[in-house]
Amino acid sequence: MRLRRALMKILVPIKRVVDPYAKVRSLPDGSGMDTTGLKFEINPFDEIAVEEAVRLKEKDPSIEIVAVSIGGAECEEQLRKGLAMGADRAILVETNDPLDSTVVAAELAALANELKPDMILMGKQATDDDNNQAGQMLAAKLNWPQATFAAKVERGDGIVRVTRETDTGDETLELPLPCLVTTDLRLNEPRYIALPGIIKARSKPLEKRPRMTSAAPKTRIVRMEAPAARQAGRKVGSVDELYVALKDRGAL
Amino acid sequence: MESALAQPAAARETGCGFFSRTPESIFTPEDFRGDDALMIEAANDFSRKEVLPVAERLDHQEDDLMPSLIRKAGELGFCGIDSPEAYGGLGLGKNLAARILEFLSLNASFSVTVGVTSGISQVGLSWFGTDEQKAKYLPRLTSGEWMGAYALSEPNSGSDALSASTRADKRGDKYILNGTKMWISNAKWAEFFLVMAKVDGERFSAFIVERDFPGVEIAREEHKMGLKGSSTARVLLENCEVPVENLLYEEGKGHQVALNALNLGRFKLSSMSIGPLRSSIELAARYSLERKQFGEPISNFGLIRKKLALMATMIWASESMIYRTGAMIDGAFAEWGGPVEGNKKAAEEYSVECSMCKVFSTEAESLGIDEALQCYGGYGFTEEFPIARNYRDARVSRIYEGTNEINRVFIGSRLARKISEGKASGESANDSFVAELAGRALLSVPKDQVGLGALSDLLMFQYAEQSARLRARQGGLHKALYGRFVDWVNPRAAEAYQAIVSEAVSLPAPSGVGVDEIAEAVLAKRLP
Ligand SMILES: Cc1cc2nc3c(=O)[nH]c(=O)nc-3n(C[C@H](O)[C@H](O)[C@H](O)COP(=O)(O)OP(=O)(O)OC[C@H]3O[C@@H](n4cnc5c(N)ncnc54)[C@H](O)[C@@H]3O)c2cc1C
Repeated sequence: MRLRRALMKILVPIKRVVDPYAKVRSLPDGSGMDTTGLKFEINPFDEIAVEEAVRLKEKDPSIEIVAVSIGGAECEEQLRKGLAMGADRAILVETNDPLDSTVVAAELAALANELKPDMILMGKQATDDDNNQAGQMLAAKLNWPQATFAAKVERGDGIVRVTRETDTGDETLELPLPCLVTTDLRLNEPRYIALPGIIKARSKPLEKRPRMTSAAPKTRIVRMEAPAARQAGRKVGSVDELYVALKDRGAL
Repeated sequence: MESALAQPAAARETGCGFFSRTPESIFTPEDFRGDDALMIEAANDFSRKEVLPVAERLDHQEDDLMPSLIRKAGELGFCGIDSPEAYGGLGLGKNLAARILEFLSLNASFSVTVGVTSGISQVGLSWFGTDEQKAKYLPRLTSGEWMGAYALSEPNSGSDALSASTRADKRGDKYILNGTKMWISNAKWAEFFLVMAKVDGERFSAFIVERDFPGVEIAREEHKMGLKGSSTARVLLENCEVPVENLLYEEGKGHQVALNALNLGRFKLSSMSIGPLRSSIELAARYSLERKQFGEPISNFGLIRKKLALMATMIWASESMIYRTGAMIDGAFAEWGGPVEGNKKAAEEYSVECSMCKVFSTEAESLGIDEALQCYGGYGFTEEFPIARNYRDARVSRIYEGTNEINRVFIGSRLARKISEGKASGESANDSFVAELAGRALLSVPKDQVGLGALSDLLMFQYAEQSARLRARQGGLHKALYGRFVDWVNPRAAEAYQAIVSEAVSLPAPSGVGVDEIAEAVLAKRLP
């Protein structure tokens, strides 16, 4: 029988993304996104993960929350926000290498093997690439149980109970620790960061370290372009006219 | 991460120094980084998620809605940002506090409520209060548990504030206050009032009055054209009993408390005026993208784009002067603050700059919101759309914290006096069209108010243009914004100059740049 493990340490990966509400445009040469003048934020799904971890900690102060981000030095901003929300310490895996889900999963797996968290709580996807796969890849690499799209997370004795909203109804899973959970939008509403929290976060440790693996991306962005402009619609005067118009276009 | 540091004393400009010398560099909003940026973002988040969605309900003064928002704001630290840490404040700088306040000000009713309770109701106490007074009152204000108010104006004394007729008579261990205070923001909810009254009808003094003291009555709400979500009412004092220990500072020195609080109040009101302009430009941009006429979004039309560019330019120019000034104020407090005398010196040093920021920003606010409303066409004239509220709310900014006329009388005459007293150099910096005109105009200071007002405009334009020029060195969109600003300000500076000197001046050719570049940035939410 497996030894019952207590929930002591939660690892929360945080991705820095472009403000999801900003109007983005691709660079003229199609090599990527033009980010001049845009704001950056914590990926909203990751922010929900931080919030959930902080709520678990509020019920059990012995829990340690470690926020981690992989990317350039500027990711420190998002880690600082995570610390201000209530994470205990932060790790920045500093790199300017191109990252895809494969690389992220590899780095996080290496980190998890070192830190031995009891749970990894992360966004189900990032609002910039919308891949929805880093969590699943990571769970596979670690050979951990996983629950994706969590709408509710509860602690039990040596387990975590996760409710997922599916098309056919609420599905509740019990996962032994260590486990990985990815968050859905309905899980919670992240708190406002309080100014005293920001000041307090100044004294929390933020460790910068290099990458631990040499995993290479398995995908590469070939081209980024704006979606084709939609054709303007037109108004029809009656149902009959609509019928004819739809028929003309072969829609009926 | 360290918070943006106040400028070291050696590099800091002296009050009115801008006139004769353009500094190497100034503090700009881009210098708020790290934790500072996070705090500003927190304020922005709070405004957008908690305040803007209930703007309409606030305007109906729904029971306990505003007080509950203030309590929430207090829990997040917004009611004591720049108040001393020893008394529950966060002890942060005035500049950062102003920037945070700008983003808390996207709705003007909430803005004035939080601005008064965190600002002019508290600073007098922080600067002039005894330890006992501070320990008793500040923690309740900084936490948001209590709201504060500042009561100077009266029915018959507004601009001429020192002519107040509220009196205080000492009877044993109490002062007995009698009189009416008019237009008191937060009156309906406040527990703490900083009240100005004359001891024996002569010596102007400041008192801490609790709402529950015998003899305090709050009259009905004024029926205002805007800021309907804020509370503005008369405070009636009838044989109001105030313990002697609640005299703030000294008998006969209340004007120092009141006026120094106002200096800072003017500085903060500048940033509080930019908040509503910021939300208005966003509304106008969104509406212009959605509204189609002649088969295309109105945001494609040059004259609409020009309005968006003007609003953005006004925000940018205002910010450039406001946060330059705030950094200097922080520097002055870092050097002199603490003891009462030092606090007075620091609060006074940049009074001219504070007034210039106040006049410029509140007029930028009015101008910009007027243009935002125009983008809405007829829909802007209805209460179905939020822009009408912003338009009504903005009107009072030019009236309170010293009307813009009073500030215009002050700017020119105080600068001239500083020069004549040898506290500032009278030699013009002479390094731009506006600076040259200001230099020439100052050769003979106008005696009449019309000329003096025009001189103040010129000085204000010089300060704005100089601040904008230094900020524009960052390049990119800043350059385009500076170009637009110069095209806007040069003819106005010439007009002011001509009003003083009655002599024609020829204008430099306009740069003509920027409209499209700036409008695109507005529409794509890519403003600096
Ligand atoms: C919504 C609101 C909230 C307020 N909140 C507060 C508050 O919390 N606490 C507080 O103490 N006060 C408050 N006030 C009062 C405000 O500060 C005064 O209204 C302001 O100082 C002007 O005074 P007044 O209204 O008496 O106008 P007046 O002084 O009568 O001015 C009338 C006009 O004459 C002009 N004028 C006056 N003197 C001169 C001069 N010497 N030279 C040239 N022009 C001049 C003025 O600029 C103005 O245009 C508030 C007012 C409003 C409307």
